[in-house]
Amino acid sequence: MADIAMSRQGRRVFFKQGTVLKIVVLLLLIALIVLPLIRTVLFTLRPDVIGAWGDVLSGRLSTNLFYKPLKNTMLIGVIVSTGCVLLGGFLAWLVVMTNVPYRRTIGVMATLPFMIPSFAAALAWGTLFRNDRVGGQIGWFQGLGFDVPDWLAWGMVPTLIVLTLHYFSLAFTIIAAALATVNSDLVEAAQIAGAKGRRILMGIILPVTTPALVAAGSLCFAGAVSNFATPALLGLPVRMQTLSTRLFGMIEVGQVGRGYVIGILLVIISGLFLWAGNRVVSGRRSYATITGKGGRAKRFDLRGARWPLFAVAMVFLLASTVVPVIVLLASSFAPSSANLFSGWTAHYWIGASNPSFAQGVPGIVYNADIVRALMVTLSLGLAVAFTGMIIGLLASYTTARYREGWASAAITQISFLPLLVPGIAFGAAYIAYLGAPIGPFPALYGTFALLVIASTAYLLPFSVQTGRAVIQQVGGELEESARLTGAGFLRRLGAITVPLAVRGLAAGGILIFVKIIRDLSLVVLLFTPTMPVLSVLAYRYASEGFGQFANAITVVILTISIVATLIANRLQAKSQPWLKD
Amino acid sequence: MSITKTTCLGAISLILSTTIVAAQDLDAMTAEELLPLAQAEGTVTVYSFTSRIGKVEAAFEAAYPGIDLQGFDISSTEQIARLSAEAQAGVTNADVVYVSDAPVVLEALLAPGIIAPYVPPRVTDRVPAEFQSPLLAQRLSTKVLMYNEEANPDGAPIDSLWDLTRDEWAGRVVMVDPLQRGDYLDLMTEIVLRSDEMAAAYEAEFGEAIDLDGAANAGEKFIMDLFANDVILVGSTDDVNAAVGGLGQDNPPVGFTSYSDRRDNEEESWALQVANDVAPAPGIIFPAVLALTAEPNNPAAARLVIDFLMGDETETGGPGLAPFYVAGDYVTRTDIPPHPDAVPLDDFTAWRVAPAETAKIRAEIGDLVLTLQ
Repeated sequence: MADIAMSRQGRRVFFKQGTVLKIVVLLLLIALIVLPLIRTVLFTLRPDVIGAWGDVLSGRLSTNLFYKPLKNTMLIGVIVSTGCVLLGGFLAWLVVMTNVPYRRTIGVMATLPFMIPSFAAALAWGTLFRNDRVGGQIGWFQGLGFDVPDWLAWGMVPTLIVLTLHYFSLAFTIIAAALATVNSDLVEAAQIAGAKGRRILMGIILPVTTPALVAAGSLCFAGAVSNFATPALLGLPVRMQTLSTRLFGMIEVGQVGRGYVIGILLVIISGLFLWAGNRVVSGRRSYATITGKGGRAKRFDLRGARWPLFAVAMVFLLASTVVPVIVLLASSFAPSSANLFSGWTAHYWIGASNPSFAQGVPGIVYNADIVRALMVTLSLGLAVAFTGMIIGLLASYTTARYREGWASAAITQISFLPLLVPGIAFGAAYIAYLGAPIGPFPALYGTFALLVIASTAYLLPFSVQTGRAVIQQVGGELEESARLTGAGFLRRLGAITVPLAVRGLAAGGILIFVKIIRDLSLVVLLFTPTMPVLSVLAYRYASEGFGQFANAITVVILTISIVATLIANRLQAKSQPWLKD
Repeated sequence: MSITKTTCLGAISLILSTTIVAAQDLDAMTAEELLPLAQAEGTVTVYSFTSRIGKVEAAFEAAYPGIDLQGFDISSTEQIARLSAEAQAGVTNADVVYVSDAPVVLEALLAPGIIAPYVPPRVTDRVPAEFQSPLLAQRLSTKVLMYNEEANPDGAPIDSLWDLTRDEWAGRVVMVDPLQRGDYLDLMTEIVLRSDEMAAAYEAEFGEAIDLDGAANAGEKFIMDLFANDVILVGSTDDVNAAVGGLGQDNPPVGFTSYSDRRDNEEESWALQVANDVAPAPGIIFPAVLALTAEPNNPAAARLVIDFLMGDETETGGPGLAPFYVAGDYVTRTDIPPHPDAVPLDDFTAWRVAPAETAKIRAEIGDLVLTLQ
């Protein structure tokens, strides 16, 4: 209200420079992102907690608390990112550069795995490959009479496979986009000079797309090392710990200090790799591939290899999309995962409580816990989509319209900071941050508000990115003419920017919605029994041996995600340049 | 100004004193007197360490229509972490806490006033004093060595805990990760506290005195050998039960689980049986306690739930106690006859946990287990 009292002149001067806006946005981002991280670090430095650093980094516990999980984490990061770049790169090359049959289908399918939550893939793996090592139900293959060895059922190998099949689509998207922009002049020049396919690949295309490969690799690395669901579901039964499962375990049993220390170290590791990847790319800026001229090069003719390569691609694509969905769906009807396709019952969906069936747990439609979790999850998705887009819009508007000054740079940097922080560590930071009262503000532990605030902050990189894309579509001159007629900031935003950008904003909001409803790693620590969300409920059912309920819930999440994604794609008419002919 | 102030203070103290009187009144009320207040509250939230809360929920809502019991199955370890975090945040989610893990509960929840004791007046004369204070124990629960009686019709395949460290049991002993479930950490701790008995049992089994080989005592040596022998750690007792008890196995493993899970043998197709004659003891027996949160949102309904969980006046305690009146659970009420199918409590050889002793070295044993994983 104060600014009404202010003279019109004074207000305009303020807004002209965007100072007020910058400060407001900056403070908001600091409160959402910087303070939680700082508070976590400070917590571990308290006199009664500081010993946790010693426990984790040296001494007799450190091997199992930190170094062994670290070794597993690094192994996962290196192998998964390598696998993803190879697989994603191979598929991108097929789709963009060759005349493989059904290029479009391959292109669409390759982007799908990332829409499927990674815990869904891990659950599907368990349904197929579980053996009898840890009791409970056995998987389908064991049920068919195959003797599934431990290394294939549990631990490192399945974790690597599931994560690679999850993250490769991230690599695919990045590499395909880069390949699509490779200047055809280069390729044609080589062809004229008589270079063969392999030579062109190794001599031109690979070097030119190096930045994309590095970026894809480092993003997959950061994703894989911070993934919680897959190692938790597939590794914990054989005592394979990663940093994220260790962090979760320590906080669950109340050893919070040790948990936070592990979380901080995990942030440092994942951040270091993303930063290094960035350095490699930005250090060699001479890779501009989009220039004024140049059209699409002739596609490589695969000749006899067309169908075999198509088959290879489809094996990976089916394994990462269709198979998990079918397995989860079948398993949600099958009383025993050993007989996945027989004796189906709808009990896990619509059965009433029956003491002789699944210990009296009713089907998910009648299960009050699950119905409440569905409501909480959907409300959370909507609330975060809304708050996320508002803050994303504010931040990107500020940086797009008032580019100069350190404040804008700081806003950009801070809004991308959560990318470096694994979800589970971010969740831990928020418990440290808002788990206890701050001054006059009450603690938010176990409240809906905490879930919304933490999720909004965690997804800010995406909302800011979406916001930026939207803002850039709306020409600055429209706004300038409005400002000349005396329209204030909120008026301009409400009357011009938002209406013009509403489709893009809606699409961005939906993507945020999808991201949060299928997230497990962030909410797994913020979960309280009275504020349940679907993904955590699925995880808990899975770890308590109620695979069918877990799978049925996962099918619900999947369905909502896929429908929402399709709607977003329609709204956005998403540009996928590599599919154009 | 000062008059307003005085009035305010007076009002505040009046409100405070009514709540205190109310709490005392509630403590003294019978179930019949609590009922209308509880119905006015309409709902009550229970954190329970056993999945049997589902059955309690149905029975309670049938007995007291109009009160919605929200039961949450949360392991004791997680309850302690959650209740502490909630207390720190000044949030009260639960009204009633039904928890084992007494060593930590006394220290971490009762001492700082996060939970409060309550004994329904109806049963004060029928529960031994040791089970009324510091917290009301509803029953004694167990974590003991169980085997598959279908595959071993002549009795337990082992006669000493030390058998579990032999090659033939490598990868064939199942239990829940002691770092995830406090009951199992209590079991490990008790083994260390009973080091003298463990040493004697070693000598009886192998015919020579134990060589500690760097371990601090016989108990720790046992734990180290057990882990070195590829003990299988799972996430829940039901996983142990399925692995050990599942019918049709040629060579089933053995495992530490709740004796009372034998009740589900028929329903789940298990053949679980307790190895009661194992030397020096098959495991531990410990109280499962009931308490109120410090400031329950539904104080009357919370007390009504505890009253209900202590059983009614019928011979075996009626629907509230029915889920717990099973072989292998030992109800603390003296007027309820022991379950006919169970080993009588006096013949049951499991160690009685002394919470205060356990609490002293529990964290240390937790760290030991951590180094072995």
